[in-house]
Amino acid sequence: MLRKLKNSLFLIYIVLATFLVTLPLFHIIFSVFINGFPVILKAGLSFLTETLPPPGEELAGIGPAILGTFILTFLSSLIGIPIATLAGIYAAEYPNSFFSRATRTLLLVMIEFPTILVSLFVMSIVVLPMGRFSAIAGAIALVIVMMPYVAVYTEQALKSVPERYREAAYALGLKRKQVVFRVMFSIARKGIVTGFLIGIAKAAGETAPILFTAGGAYRTFFIGLDKPVGAIPLLIYDLVQQPYSNYHEIAWGSALILLIVFLAIFIPVRLSVREVKL
Amino acid sequence: MNAFEVRNLRVSYDDFEIISGIDLDIPAKTCFAIMGPSGCGKSTLLRTFNRLIEINENARVSGIIKLFGKNIFEIETSELRRRVGMVFQIPNPFPHLSVYENVAVGPKFNKMVKNKKELDKIVEWALKKAVLWDEVKDRLRERASNLSGGQMQRLCIARALALKPEVLLMDEPTANLDPISASKIEELIHELKKEYTMVIVTHSPSQASRIADYVAFLYLGKIVEIGRVEDVFENPKHELTEKYLTGRIG
Repeated sequence: MLRKLKNSLFLIYIVLATFLVTLPLFHIIFSVFINGFPVILKAGLSFLTETLPPPGEELAGIGPAILGTFILTFLSSLIGIPIATLAGIYAAEYPNSFFSRATRTLLLVMIEFPTILVSLFVMSIVVLPMGRFSAIAGAIALVIVMMPYVAVYTEQALKSVPERYREAAYALGLKRKQVVFRVMFSIARKGIVTGFLIGIAKAAGETAPILFTAGGAYRTFFIGLDKPVGAIPLLIYDLVQQPYSNYHEIAWGSALILLIVFLAIFIPVRLSVREVKL
Repeated sequence: MNAFEVRNLRVSYDDFEIISGIDLDIPAKTCFAIMGPSGCGKSTLLRTFNRLIEINENARVSGIIKLFGKNIFEIETSELRRRVGMVFQIPNPFPHLSVYENVAVGPKFNKMVKNKKELDKIVEWALKKAVLWDEVKDRLRERASNLSGGQMQRLCIARALALKPEVLLMDEPTANLDPISASKIEELIHELKKEYTMVIVTHSPSQASRIADYVAFLYLGKIVEIGRVEDVFENPKHELTEKYLTGRIG
């Protein structure tokens, strides 16, 4: 009797805990939608294409920030994913070497590293020498933030492939490069692509790394890699600190756009990458 | 003519010696069985023949192994592994590839074919050779992981044959199969040994006696006895061999 009671109490506890853990996610999605959707509805399609209005009544749009987010994400993925993938392969392929073990530890430290420090670091090595904020500085900061995720996921995904497939590939006379890229990579693709996506989602959603690097430009569209650029998270951060009600509305609308961008990258690719049944 | 000539072969992992000075000759186009209890070094020995052992960073190999008179340590590993095919204990077709692609993967990546037509031909030939064609000819586009265990193992044999090897190494190829699938593989080995040199590791003396022409009994990293199957099974010269064959060790 007592054991049954204990069992039920434990079950209730677990369900409650799970509910508490996932509650913020649903609350965020719900509140962003409730507050953001009317704004976009009111502003219309121009919300996506127009530039930021002056303080007052107008809503206009957040076009430069959306474009900026895409440029920063694209640029940082272009630089970060290939390098991080190679680092992940190195860690998985040479698990016992000193450098590989050091790489793994450093990657885990980098994941936990406060991103605001990354922003300060890039500011000191790129922004100060260049004399201004720039898209390239923002992208470099995002590269540093995304790389450890991509590398660690790649390493874990490759390591999770049973040894027997690696042996089979070598036994067919395949060279190491072919074994890794043509066999192991394909078998582990779901884990690897998940790592890419988490990296891309990080780059699209992070605020701190671009705080002291990208600069933010919301009244002009992208004008060059060496010029300041806006981004949706940075825009939200800027707008909520302003005392103007139209800026607060735009911030909610921006939050919904960011959420949609995030879900739009994540869900379809996650679903379309077929898992290999081992 | 000997397919393999092995002299004073030693293999160790992290300073722990697994194979302690082995000499043996494996005649071409015969079936040579390496038998012995678990942990005696059979699989390690087999993996030195195609230098697959070298993918383990901690393995150290010394001694001489000649493949048809040529030192295998002077042959490039990818060429050696094309000439010396291998089938493993657990059937391991690539799970992300179809039946067809599994057989095609070796010839394709080793650039043995010029076009799709040639590749189709090799795939069909190899699947027929492995007595699998009739069962899978309408399922070539299906994932290999949909096949049964026995079919998967024959697919692995076809995959190895597609490279047109001279020698086929088999590491307990029936250990994970049901008796009917196992007997099909044994029949296949009987057929294949007419054209290929077969080296088979087994922990079962009865399997060795059914399929092999020659047998070596390996115990604690050393060869205790070696010879024609009928000689070793009928007149074992060593007491350990007799104990093993009668089930008192192993």
